[in-house]
Amino acid sequence: MGAKFLDDLLTEFLTETNESLDVVDCELVKFEQEPNNAKILDNIFRLVHTIKGTCGFLGLPRLEALAHAAETLMGNFRGGVAVTPDAVTLILESLDRIKEILSALEQAEVEPDGSDNDLIDQLDLLSAGGGNSAAHDQNDAEPEAAESEIEEPLKIVQRELKPREVSLEGLERAFAEADGADLGTASETAAEAAAETEKPESPEGKAEKPAAPAPPAVDAGAPAEKRERAVTNQSIRVNVDSLETLMTTVSELVLTRNQLLEMVRRIEDSEFKVPLQRLSNVTAELQEGIMKTRMQPVGNAWQKLPRIVRDLAKDLGKKIDLEMSGAETELDRQVLELIKDPLTHMVRNSADHGLETTEGRLAAGKPETGRIDLSAYHEGGHIIIEIADDGRGLNAEKIKEKAVENELATQAELEKMTDVQIQKFIFKAGFSTAKEVTNVSGRGVGMDVVRTNIELIGGSVDVTSVEGKGSTFLIKIPLTLAIISALIVESAGQRFAVPQLCVVELVRAQAESDHRIEMINDTPVLRLRNKLLPLMHLSKLLEIEAAPGSGDQSAPEAFDLPGAVSPEADGREPEPQGAVSTPTAKKFEEAAGFIVVIQVGPHCYGIVVDSVFDTEEIVVKPMSSMLREVTIFSGNTILGDGSVILIVDPNGIADAVHGSLFVDGLQNDADEDAAFDSTDDVVSLLVFRAGGNEPKAVPLSLVTRLEEIDVATIEPSNGRDLVQYRGKLMPLVNVNDAFQKRKEGMQPILVFTDEEQVMGLMVDEIVDIVEERLNIEVTAGMEGVIGSAVVKGQATEVLDIGHYLPKAFDNWFRRPESDDRGYSMRVLLVDDSSFFRNMLSPVMSAGGYSVTAVESADEALKMRDEGKQFDVIVSDIEMPDMDGFAFAQSLLSDARWSTTPIVALSSHTSPAVIERARESNFIDYVGKFDRAGLMEVLKSTVDAIGEVA
Amino acid sequence: MECLVVDDSAVIRKVACRILEEMEFQTAEAVDGREALDFCKAHMPDAILLDWNMPVMDGLEFLTKLRKEYGGEQPVVVFCTSENDVGHITTALGAGANEYIMKPFDREIIEAKFQQVGLL
Repeated sequence: MGAKFLDDLLTEFLTETNESLDVVDCELVKFEQEPNNAKILDNIFRLVHTIKGTCGFLGLPRLEALAHAAETLMGNFRGGVAVTPDAVTLILESLDRIKEILSALEQAEVEPDGSDNDLIDQLDLLSAGGGNSAAHDQNDAEPEAAESEIEEPLKIVQRELKPREVSLEGLERAFAEADGADLGTASETAAEAAAETEKPESPEGKAEKPAAPAPPAVDAGAPAEKRERAVTNQSIRVNVDSLETLMTTVSELVLTRNQLLEMVRRIEDSEFKVPLQRLSNVTAELQEGIMKTRMQPVGNAWQKLPRIVRDLAKDLGKKIDLEMSGAETELDRQVLELIKDPLTHMVRNSADHGLETTEGRLAAGKPETGRIDLSAYHEGGHIIIEIADDGRGLNAEKIKEKAVENELATQAELEKMTDVQIQKFIFKAGFSTAKEVTNVSGRGVGMDVVRTNIELIGGSVDVTSVEGKGSTFLIKIPLTLAIISALIVESAGQRFAVPQLCVVELVRAQAESDHRIEMINDTPVLRLRNKLLPLMHLSKLLEIEAAPGSGDQSAPEAFDLPGAVSPEADGREPEPQGAVSTPTAKKFEEAAGFIVVIQVGPHCYGIVVDSVFDTEEIVVKPMSSMLREVTIFSGNTILGDGSVILIVDPNGIADAVHGSLFVDGLQNDADEDAAFDSTDDVVSLLVFRAGGNEPKAVPLSLVTRLEEIDVATIEPSNGRDLVQYRGKLMPLVNVNDAFQKRKEGMQPILVFTDEEQVMGLMVDEIVDIVEERLNIEVTAGMEGVIGSAVVKGQATEVLDIGHYLPKAFDNWFRRPESDDRGYSMRVLLVDDSSFFRNMLSPVMSAGGYSVTAVESADEALKMRDEGKQFDVIVSDIEMPDMDGFAFAQSLLSDARWSTTPIVALSSHTSPAVIERARESNFIDYVGKFDRAGLMEVLKSTVDAIGEVA
Repeated sequence: MECLVVDDSAVIRKVACRILEEMEFQTAEAVDGREALDFCKAHMPDAILLDWNMPVMDGLEFLTKLRKEYGGEQPVVVFCTSENDVGHITTALGAGANEYIMKPFDREIIEAKFQQVGLL
């Protein structure tokens, strides 16, 4: 029992002392700035004093000696000795040493061996050298109240005694003079104790000193303790483990309550209803209360920062003010622990890299002292922590250089990025802009680690910076990790939870809809708003077999469940659910399923699951330590119905997906920013090389597949190359005459499909898939080339597939017999997208039509007013200002073009849109990429005109 | 017999309470002079083990105020600190402390003191 008591005491001591030291750290920094603030000094002095006093009880001579020496020096300050930065540094060093000893003590439960004479000597030197006279004065001044009464005894103090030491006689005499009370024994004891306490002043004698005072406190079993605590204690210390256990227990309680509620809900007029309601409320309160116990002010994570900044400022020769606000903002203890290090790192960074040197600041016309503002506040379910400095800001040019140097991006890529995008490079792995690695930061642990750590807890970090003005880092972290909102999904008959925080949206993929799962190089992808999203089948990733009855077939049913959710996401763009199904169903492998679009940092990917149930607040239980290696799961939870399910870790899956990404270029920052912009002109392009060094590109949406075929399987026939492909003969065509197909090995080809016809375009090398705001600049006179565009900083020829299709199939287009009519049919193409104008015009021209392209309905109407005539109008539906429907309607009002047939062109092919198109004077409706369909429609329209004529 | 232990260090309070309980005292704790004073106003203890350096209200201020309270002269106050210079001691005794002991203390020291002031 005695040992236990001592253990408890030691634990208590460690906690208490560590806390005190943190406070002292901060206070000292404050004190250095305002050396005249007696209150701060008193505070520091008291804390160190308490540490010293407590050490004595536990028999910790090393600590006691050090604390005493520091205390003495601080006592000098109290006495009016000038506070020098050196002295403060020395005290801070001593505090560091004390912390070291404490941590060793914590591990070994005994004070570590070693000597602190170096520090103690210095401290003593300063105490004495701060001027013996000063120390002497201080002796007079110290006990201010008593000063006048006891001038006499002080004279007795012998000179060889160090400041604040008292001789035995002095004590005795003081006692005798102070009061009439019999103090004989008292002074002896006092003197003894004093002597013991004072001994540490001479460190040599210290080591031998037995740890005498503590043991007596422990001997003998205590009688039944009857402690009376009338004084209300404001707080008590509770072991974190017991809180965690409580938390888990409450979670169980919540689950049981949910079960009960569920049961009672099914029974009408149950007598349990009312008490259960009460139970429910109490449970909720309990849960909230327990949650609160886990909360700590974010200031706890900041406590060490003033000290760090102060030391930095001294090391770097800068003047830095650290302002902190919102320290009382509370967040989960666990989260707090996890952000401590990233936060410290960022503040270091701001002090080291962010702020200029004093000279630099003066030169820039800024105040000498740099500012770092640290603030925290709540926003939604998150805590926002801002770290702002008024330093030099991020230098975009330097970042660019560095990015190129570290091969994070090419010069060409950088040219096109905005400053904001460039600034984000600081979060990339292996990036450090500091010219030289200082002692402080730039030790290889960069902002990427910070970012990773913050993202690990579901947070995010962002930077805004104005060069010359400063930078602001914004950290957004969830309040708690213990309860999260999760999306419950099913894959292969098993349920999983996906943290809602990472879910961007849900997409339902069906074989016949706009959103279907396609395969590029054996990797499933989803084409979502002009962006390719890499996909991962959860069941495949986990290698779980679908139980009978689950899987694709069950998906629609599950979706109709009452609890099922429609696109959760942010509602930025509602997904066309269950879009139109065309009768000619094409068979795509596993083209259907629910896709949970996940965003983890820069990575965006989709998880394919069989069905989606509901979002639920789940209590996260950590994975058992045995399963810690499994990175795909972050924990498990118990659902309301009592079943245990695993929580998917989006970060873990991102790693798995990343490993199998088919094209690295898919995941770069430029893409990221364009990812969910529905910018019209952004087009995915497949960049490749063929017949020449300059890159060529085709819209990815036209490409059905990328394949590699063995050259040996290519069969020349009738002057053309054919290859057996999926049970059919597929014609292969060359890009141009310069192209040489490979002599042996595998030949990469792009496969284009149209209806039943398949064509392969042989290329030398597939380079990349890029997102570009396509601006075709030069219309080349070359055959098969729409024009050139700058793609990823390189002039790239954009191929016209329409040119190659007839090469492969004689009957590709049934050309209108233009010769018969003696003139070409005139087509007016109205489309706001230059890409489509450039792509479709040549197709129609090649079909024998005379094409005029305009970019808006207004322009088209202008042409009408100018008296121009066309045989057919092909108009886009989605256009700014006046859309296709309005345009078609407006044509009816004027006799000139009211009879001109108008064909709708759109990327949306839902029945509703088609219906609306028909109502709005459109005679037909064609998908934007359905070129054969367009030609078909044009031909039938023209034929109809011919018949009428 | 009841003894109030006034100290801002939980460790010292624990040690002191432990010793006092072994001596069959009932104990109460206060973390600073203000708390201690509030306690005393409600209920005077028989003895007070008093630290000097504390936040909010230090030992000396507490003592001075305590002695002015009704019945405040009654408790035996043992000053108990590592402020070991003469000035402190005289000041403490002047303010009305009955005894003065040095930190660190043990049971023997406390017992000896308490006997001297007639508590045991």
